[in-house]
Amino acid sequence: MRRPTLTALVVLVGLLLIADLLVVNTALGQLAGIVVDAAILVAAGAALAAVGALGARRIADLWRRRGDPVSAALVLAGMAAMLAAGLRPGSAGTGEPAVQWLIAALLVPIGASLFGLLFVTTLAAARRSVASRSREGTVLVAAALVTTALLVPIFGGMGTWMADAAGWLLGGPIGAVFRGLLIGVGLLTAVYAARTLLGMAAADE
Amino acid sequence: MNDRMPHLWRLAPLVLIAALAVAWQLPEASWLRLAAPDAAVADRMTATLDSIGEEPRVLVGFDPDIGTYAETRPTVRTLLADLLAREARLAFVSLTAEGRALGSAELARFGREEANPTRLLDLGFIPGAEAGLVDLTRGVRLPDEGDGAFAREVNAAGIGAFDAVLVIGGNDLGPRSWIEQVAPRIGEIPFVAVTPTVLLPEVQPYLASGALRAVLGTPRDGAAYRETLDLGNLGRLTDPSEPRPLPLLIGMLVAVAALGQALGARAIGYLRASRSREAG
Repeated sequence: MRRPTLTALVVLVGLLLIADLLVVNTALGQLAGIVVDAAILVAAGAALAAVGALGARRIADLWRRRGDPVSAALVLAGMAAMLAAGLRPGSAGTGEPAVQWLIAALLVPIGASLFGLLFVTTLAAARRSVASRSREGTVLVAAALVTTALLVPIFGGMGTWMADAAGWLLGGPIGAVFRGLLIGVGLLTAVYAARTLLGMAAADE
Repeated sequence: MNDRMPHLWRLAPLVLIAALAVAWQLPEASWLRLAAPDAAVADRMTATLDSIGEEPRVLVGFDPDIGTYAETRPTVRTLLADLLAREARLAFVSLTAEGRALGSAELARFGREEANPTRLLDLGFIPGAEAGLVDLTRGVRLPDEGDGAFAREVNAAGIGAFDAVLVIGGNDLGPRSWIEQVAPRIGEIPFVAVTPTVLLPEVQPYLASGALRAVLGTPRDGAAYRETLDLGNLGRLTDPSEPRPLPLLIGMLVAVAALGQALGARAIGYLRASRSREAG
């Protein structure tokens, strides 16, 4: 379904922000500032709504006895602990020692541990990808193998040569592929945005 | 034998952790060196910091992510200590919840280590992602407790008060967002960054174009930068211990062996299939 009002709004906001970037004008700047503030408020509201929805979902899981009750209870307990520590009367918010402790002693180590587990799971996934006889997977794993081997921190002439080769791989071929992907995504985003701005495609297409 | 293999594979992560723990305790090996052999990247960062003048005011966009912060943390802490050793004044701002959590923890750590509080300013969290960055260029909102000389300067001049921008990347709002949203809207001030390796291909074009003056983007470049510094008393603000190369080497060799074995098995299977077709 086409929404001309929404499209017109997007066009106006886009043009206003571009004009503000290109033209120095106090009134224009103030108007653009209002739009930016509105965007910030919407984003903040959306973030709060997302957290609220997560909490509501977990409460519903526990209430209706669906999913994993232990993880739902842990999520709710974590949210309650952080909210109680940061929002209780007299609290210094994120500067509160209890909040600092929750972050430094629990959140950061748990996050780092989960990321550390990726070492094992990524290796397992890479092996499965090769075993499935996927051609792309094999190329991907071979590239990872070569890069990892070259990054081994050996001292001396051999180490220098390997580090130079790894640098060339990261900055040359791998960087080129990565940047090509980014440019492709950027072009597609620009085309889609232009289509939306020009009313050639509805926002919910 | 084959029946036991799955059980052995399940034990492999535990064996790896045990091996890493043992390697952590062993003395340093002279044939291993974490620091990059070529210190050009580290020298570029030092030269950039040298060029921003005395007692610079630096805006620190602190948005690492929890997963990769372990990779960049020693370099981030050393760079911040280096800036404080240069009598810099640092204002921290975060645009992601993770960045705010980590930034808040780092500021608390500075407090515990008795860093000079008049040189630190916590600008807090700005919601709105890119819109928040644009808003930052329009005016810097100070916290209630920001009433020192540094806070007054920032309050008066906004983002124009700063002599340099340091972006601690890792999250979505890293150096790329700062260069895209902030750099065109403010004057010519140097942007430098610390990022995990995964962001390196993304930031290299900005480095080549000069939009970013210097980036420490790999653990080896970070180690080379840390090696060049003598922070004296402010060394207490850095990580208490350097990453050990031997556990890193073991982890990398395990990865190489696991990937190599999979690729080798695939190559052997391919050769056998080819021979079978030729024989048939």
